[in-house]
Amino acid sequence: MSLVSLQSVSKTYTKGRERVDVLADLSLDIQRNDFVALMGPSGSGKTTVLNLIGGLDHPTLGEVVVDGESLRSFSPGKLARWRSQNIGFVFQFYNLLPALTAQRNVELPLLLTKLRGKERKNNALTALDIVGLADRSKHKPSQLSGGQQQRVAIARAIVADPSILVCDEPTGDLDRANAEEILDLLQTLNQKHEKTIVMVTHDPKAADHAKTTVYLDKGQLSVQEPASQGN
Amino acid sequence: MGRIQFLIRCMFRHKLRTTLTMLSLVTAFLLFVLLRSVAVVFETGWVSFDEVRLTTQSKYSMIEMLPLSHRDAILSINGVIDVTHASWFGGVFKEGETGDATFAIDPETYFDVYSDYTVDPDQLEEFKTTRTAALAPESLIEKYGWEIGQKIPVISPIFPNPEGGPFVFDLVGSYSSGNEGNNFLAFLFHYEYLRDTFAFGSVGWYTLTIDDPERADEISREIDQRFENSSDETRSMTESESFRQFVSQIGDISLMVTGILSAVFFTMILLTANTMVQGYRERIPELAVMKTLGFSDSSVSAYILAEALLMCCVSAAAGIGIGTLLVFSVQEYMPPMIPIYFDPVTCAWAGAIALGLGVLVGSAPAINANRLVIVDALHAH
Repeated sequence: MSLVSLQSVSKTYTKGRERVDVLADLSLDIQRNDFVALMGPSGSGKTTVLNLIGGLDHPTLGEVVVDGESLRSFSPGKLARWRSQNIGFVFQFYNLLPALTAQRNVELPLLLTKLRGKERKNNALTALDIVGLADRSKHKPSQLSGGQQQRVAIARAIVADPSILVCDEPTGDLDRANAEEILDLLQTLNQKHEKTIVMVTHDPKAADHAKTTVYLDKGQLSVQEPASQGN
Repeated sequence: MGRIQFLIRCMFRHKLRTTLTMLSLVTAFLLFVLLRSVAVVFETGWVSFDEVRLTTQSKYSMIEMLPLSHRDAILSINGVIDVTHASWFGGVFKEGETGDATFAIDPETYFDVYSDYTVDPDQLEEFKTTRTAALAPESLIEKYGWEIGQKIPVISPIFPNPEGGPFVFDLVGSYSSGNEGNNFLAFLFHYEYLRDTFAFGSVGWYTLTIDDPERADEISREIDQRFENSSDETRSMTESESFRQFVSQIGDISLMVTGILSAVFFTMILLTANTMVQGYRERIPELAVMKTLGFSDSSVSAYILAEALLMCCVSAAAGIGIGTLLVFSVQEYMPPMIPIYFDPVTCAWAGAIALGLGVLVGSAPAINANRLVIVDALHAH
């Protein structure tokens, strides 16, 4: 059974009288421990797919089933709890809280758990250690480079040990060297820590790090599994 | 990092803006405590006054004098124990000063009615037997640095000395009130001295003790009925009410205080609401991220509301604390006409206002945070 299943999903946005069909009858299955790169031109609905998988949005038609559970059946409160336990988010522009240090940014999702303060701190430091930023734990986002900020964002995404990482153009704001480091890190998380990763990207080189590449254009999906795994 | 720590970090996201807003709130609550501590005296009367004392004054004006003959008539009323009288002299002890309370009194009866006043018996005896003698409250002696036995020159704008120059009294002793909060104590001298100098037979007001405070209204009515339709009609009331009316001559202090505080807090609502709304707008992406991470709609809005409440309550606590300290510090130095009195109810009101203010200014951003749609918020920013 696939971990994530989009079943005949349609999504329509309404702006005033204008209706925009972003996704139409789209189906996609993502297996556990897969690393999927979702590619396609701007406006093709890649981020919408990501939002549906992450439970940030609901489809107009169809079902999103994650680990056997239909997200539509969840109340808003339950959906928020489910997100905190199952999904880690990585954004293009990091979206760290500027008033908090790296460690406190990473600790933030743990405020929703029953962990004690010391345990939260230790877990956050462990997550920072995994992304190679243990020595920057006291720095605020403004004191970190773009690549370092994205590492902190990844640490925040994995600190609650979710099974799925949802990454929206995680290297879109980084230079090539930093982008490679982030992609290597994601690959490690996928291979070593068995995280299922869904990553939206425009960059074919980024997609090369994935196990599966899905192309989305005008509502049509095509799946390609690269012949060789980059690393 | 706990939830409270997170709240404080978020609150001080813009340190300068939050600090300035909080300082404004501290000032507003400080002002509230100080002004209310003055106004409460004008609203409720001077609580330190003895409740078994009544005053009888002219019905039409405090400055109208009453005939001396009223004394025996008042004393004959059932329930009245002692009667004394006093007349406002308006003494100025130092050139350029506005003056201090100075009363011409009946030395034989005054301290019977004001039995809570403490005076050395020898000094009282000397006061009674010396026509030019005067007694001064300890606070006044301290204020002017007088010494017992000293001659005190006094000028009165109401009763100018017919011989020219100041009146000169012999300071024979001091007295104090049993009620620590009562700083409305006057410089006292013989009524006879005043009467003989100006050849009149009237007094400013009568003060009397009664046997039962419960009968204060009844006895007041009876006194006033006794002089009804005479050329010197009276108005009697408890001493605290009389004092309240006396100091109210300055103006409707309560209304003025309410007006000032309303303006202050209206400005505070706008200022604090502006800070909260600005803070909310700047943090829309952060709030969306919090929701993305799994914070529910209600918990995000609760954080926003808690932030507003924390800001208002911490500021209020600081303002109330400083204000209370100031009230106690300046209480004994306040002029008798503008007494200041610490009332715990004022603090309770300040606390309630802080909570109300927090809810008021935090509600709109909290509701907006609750309604924030993650996808839209992330997309827009």
